[in-house]
Amino acid sequence: MRILIVEDDEVIATTMSRGLTLHGYVVDHVPSAEAASTALLNEQFDLAIVDLGLPQEDGTSLVRRIRRTNRMLPVVVVTARDSIADRVDTLDLGADDYLVKPVALAELLARCRAHIRRARAVASSRVQIGSLGVDLEGRRVTVGGESLDLTRREWLVLEYLAVNAGRIVGKERLLDAISSAPQDLSLNSVEAVVSRLRAKLGEAAKIRTIRGLGYRLDDEP
Amino acid sequence: MIRPLWNTIRGRLLAYLLPPLVLLLAAGVYLDYETGAAPVRDAYDRALASAALAIATQAQRGTEPAELARVAAAIDGLLHPGARSRAYYVVHAGGRYLAGEADLPVATVGAKNPVFFDARFRGEPVRVVTYSLTDPQPLSVSVAETTAERDRATLRLLVSEVLTDVVQLVVTVLLVWIGVALALRPMLRLGHQIAARSPRELAPLDAHAAPGEVRLLVTELNRLFATLGEASRAQQHFLANAAHQMRTPLAGLLIQLDLLIAEVAEGRVRQELLALRSSAQSLAHTADQLLTLARADPAVHLADELTTLDCGKLIEDVVAQNLDRALRKGIDLGAQIEPVRVGCVTWLIREVLMNLVDNAIRYVPPGGHVTVRCGVTDGRAYLEVDDDGPGIPPDKRQAVRQRFYRVPNTPGGGCGLGLAIADEVARLHGAELEIGDTDGVGTRVRLRFSQAGALCSTEAV
Repeated sequence: MRILIVEDDEVIATTMSRGLTLHGYVVDHVPSAEAASTALLNEQFDLAIVDLGLPQEDGTSLVRRIRRTNRMLPVVVVTARDSIADRVDTLDLGADDYLVKPVALAELLARCRAHIRRARAVASSRVQIGSLGVDLEGRRVTVGGESLDLTRREWLVLEYLAVNAGRIVGKERLLDAISSAPQDLSLNSVEAVVSRLRAKLGEAAKIRTIRGLGYRLDDEP
Repeated sequence: MIRPLWNTIRGRLLAYLLPPLVLLLAAGVYLDYETGAAPVRDAYDRALASAALAIATQAQRGTEPAELARVAAAIDGLLHPGARSRAYYVVHAGGRYLAGEADLPVATVGAKNPVFFDARFRGEPVRVVTYSLTDPQPLSVSVAETTAERDRATLRLLVSEVLTDVVQLVVTVLLVWIGVALALRPMLRLGHQIAARSPRELAPLDAHAAPGEVRLLVTELNRLFATLGEASRAQQHFLANAAHQMRTPLAGLLIQLDLLIAEVAEGRVRQELLALRSSAQSLAHTADQLLTLARADPAVHLADELTTLDCGKLIEDVVAQNLDRALRKGIDLGAQIEPVRVGCVTWLIREVLMNLVDNAIRYVPPGGHVTVRCGVTDGRAYLEVDDDGPGIPPDKRQAVRQRFYRVPNTPGGGCGLGLAIADEVARLHGAELEIGDTDGVGTRVRLRFSQAGALCSTEAV
């Protein structure tokens, strides 16, 4: 998987790219928005990491340009600007994530993994988390290549959790996903479906209960 | 505080007005008395002269002294129906005493006829008129009356003058008092307008709405507001720059350490690298906290950062951000959300909640529970973080609000700024920070917002 880093600080850029390389990514590093545009035209990337405070052309305008020309490319902004306004503006422009420096390598890796998976899920209709494979189009679930039988509701819940892997999903949203009419099911039925799913998935995937908020499908096996 | 009267505009205005008004009053009374008393005196004098003329006419006709006395008594009765004044008379014919009181003072009549004058008779002040006839025989009649009656008339005149003038003075003073109050209303309004603003609201006042006399004041205030706003913007800009300048090298340092740790095998070097990383992290944390503290400074203009915050969404976000760290430590991090919105500076409240959750995860031992809550009690929204960790001893709950204070013998790498920031932010929002426990267990830190309607307040869901 290929990542483009747009960062003018040499130290951060090289260390980030070394860290990502260690975890199996292929990394290209450019120091300016102009160089980034050229690289994006000539090569295919799975994700771009963009600093906002770039020389000459600003990172925000680069984000805007990427969104115009390459709608699917996930963009993670890593910046020292921490104001709410910057964050909101950048996310509004179409950035997928906004991390404030200093950012830990583990955090950056987790975000990259999640965004690349989501983008791939959209592109290929498949989500892969460890040994768990979710085929969104074929409506098929595999664990270590073996097909898994799920009821309609179990499938709908797992589909929602898999697409949002690593994120907290509220019970109400899962209820919306499984019920055609708003009042035909209660939150208890969501709990029942989740517990059946856990039994079927076993060690292949971990659906955590986040007290008071909902569930999260762990994206690190 | 009671302000001394002389230090109010009304008091000063009265102090300037009162002495000249009193002088004017005195002069007015004097003049009125002078112009009013003369006609009274003339009227009495004319009556006295008529009496002298009547007696003279009788005497000329050769009336007997006894008859004259009766006439004089009748005239006295006419002139003085009360017993307050008495009249006396004396008649001289051809230079000889004819009738009346022989010892009554008499004037020599010259060019003026009759002649009026004041004298004393039998120990009393009297007004005397002497009237002379030469034809057919020289005859002189003097009539005197004691002055009690005319004194009373002039006194009444004087009293009525003084009363009218004093009433006028009092009414004038009252009108000035009320008038000044009315005229000063726009100034008081201006004062209230300024007082009602938040200390951080620096928008200019409407100079055109202010009366001409205070327009200069308003203009100068606006200039001051503008300067303050400029200074606070400059400070914000500086802080943003400082944040950037500190964060970039720290980011490089931390990510390099991360990388080194990933490359180095278990052993002494790796342990030292981990220690180094933890120090660098707490340096980054402290720098972040200091920046937050500086930017939450009351001198910094925050009013235009006020927005409506959905507490539930914030909690979801903060829990999601801290979940992995809590899970790694074996802590159950959860939430309890009752829908509520508050008007506040969102990034500050977020910073506070992040700090509180960070503290809880830091100090609660593995197996513990941390719960983030929001809701409404007594019409006031609250956000709280509740844990079942070691807790803060009751006698330290005030001290932990101080910057850089840490409860002695506390493990974990905090910098002692988290609760100080929370306290500062609470104060900025007119909210309260309550540090307590749940039935004697753990720590419960609650941020209670003010009621609906206040600047930073609970809002209807």
